[in-house]
Amino acid sequence: MPALVMFAIFVAYPFLQGFPISFTKWDGMSPNKAYVGLKNYIRIFKDANVMNAVKNTLLFTAVTMVFSNLLGLLFALMISKKSKLNHVLRTCIFMPYCLSLVLSSYIWRYVYSDVFYDKFGIASPLGSTTWVMIGLAVISVWRDAGYCMVVYIAAIQGVSKDYYEAAELEGATSWQKFKAITFPMIAPAVTANFTLLLAWGMKVFDYPMAATAGGPGRASETVAMLIYNNLFTYFKAGYGQAIAVVFTISIFAVSTLVSKTLRAREVEI
Amino acid sequence: MNKKQWNYLSVIVKLAITLLVISPFYIAMIYSVKSKQEMVTDRLAFPKTIHWDNFTRAIETSNFGLALKNSLVTTVLAVIFITLICTMASYIIARKNNRFYNLIYYLFVGAMIIPFQSIMTPLYIDMTRWKLLNTLHGFIFAKIGFQIAFTVLLVSGFVKSIPKELEEAASIDGAGMYAVFFQIVFPLMKPIVLTSIVLNALNVWNDFQMSLTLLQQKQVRNIPLTQYFFFGENSIELGLAFALFILSIIPILALYLTLQKYIIGGITQGAVKG
Repeated sequence: MPALVMFAIFVAYPFLQGFPISFTKWDGMSPNKAYVGLKNYIRIFKDANVMNAVKNTLLFTAVTMVFSNLLGLLFALMISKKSKLNHVLRTCIFMPYCLSLVLSSYIWRYVYSDVFYDKFGIASPLGSTTWVMIGLAVISVWRDAGYCMVVYIAAIQGVSKDYYEAAELEGATSWQKFKAITFPMIAPAVTANFTLLLAWGMKVFDYPMAATAGGPGRASETVAMLIYNNLFTYFKAGYGQAIAVVFTISIFAVSTLVSKTLRAREVEI
Repeated sequence: MNKKQWNYLSVIVKLAITLLVISPFYIAMIYSVKSKQEMVTDRLAFPKTIHWDNFTRAIETSNFGLALKNSLVTTVLAVIFITLICTMASYIIARKNNRFYNLIYYLFVGAMIIPFQSIMTPLYIDMTRWKLLNTLHGFIFAKIGFQIAFTVLLVSGFVKSIPKELEEAASIDGAGMYAVFFQIVFPLMKPIVLTSIVLNALNVWNDFQMSLTLLQQKQVRNIPLTQYFFFGENSIELGLAFALFILSIIPILALYLTLQKYIIGGITQGAVKG
């Protein structure tokens, strides 16, 4: 099985190599690595930069998870019926998803500075320490809402029409129909989208790297960026790897927890 | 309000929302054909004269030809290999229900969550040692390795829904395993294969983080890296930067528009399974 071989060489093997590195003090280049035991791991929990990156990453993840799904669902409800116009609109709304994250970031820098600021007098959030993560999250929501929409549309189209007809006979309003039929029936899609956006959000790297370079100051440095910088900017490969190990375990734990919770809810409703 | 008016209103609202969503594309497009002077006076207005020379100058100064070649080579080769090895792997995983293959399946499920950062440092060092750093084939190998888990999960979910009877009939007639796979199963897998092609192509084409780590020399830069560095060097001459952006969107948008009908089906397959 060539797939297994490629996977083993380029993913599994480096992944396992990561553990010994995380127990050393190492610049990433010199042949000698000093074994330092758990020192790197203890340091993580005292490091203000790590806490800052975790806070930024979580804020970004929360905003993108909620709003990409909310907008995606609204778009889906708006254009889920099969028609020529809806098909064209769907194609358009999905288009941002085809752009690279780097490109999305650049375009939005100018949306913020030339439209938001020049036309409406709203200062670009990317220049503010308070708003920068929200500003980046908006870019991500713009790009990913189309993806969520596509998943929701497919789920909505899968719901049998009989349910709606029965509900109409009973005189249900649109909101009642949505609450009692659509939403419970598309619960698996909700779980899938939330889990995916969660994973994307936690790993966010391209947006802050391209749009703000982590700034202003360190206000938009994310965990993924911090690990990258530890290898290539600060030459602390050992410490960076220790952060990566803790990072991987946290992502694993959080995604399992969220997807379990959502799956359990699916059954309830 | 009667029904007809209500319909008109809903169409207008839908159109307005869609226009709002794609409006950033308008900015990218007009910026790409504006002269330097016009950029200063009125940025958002429709350009008075179209400056196509932004495109030619961007192509010359950014070495776009090389970046395009690098991106095309890596994307096409990586996608072909991913598709070939993953469809075969998915077929075996979906059909042979023994312990070993189940274990591999769960290994891939777990691997989906692994962030690139956790293998970044070791991979960088291995690639240096194996002389694969700053080479296109090195990048292709790493990209294949990293996309396997996702693709196998996406495709094997679909294979499970294909009825076994056809294959059984063919093996009774004496067809070998490879013949069964390429003549019977592979054609049936067409929709999911096309979906995985689009999603993997988007992923490789737009990859930034792995490129930034593994392709650090100028001659191997792909399009996202060229965008990143060119923008850093040309933030004054925005017209050029945006001309480059537009050029780099065209190939992937063409692929998307050609294969878009397969995306909806496939994303759902992958999403609900993953």
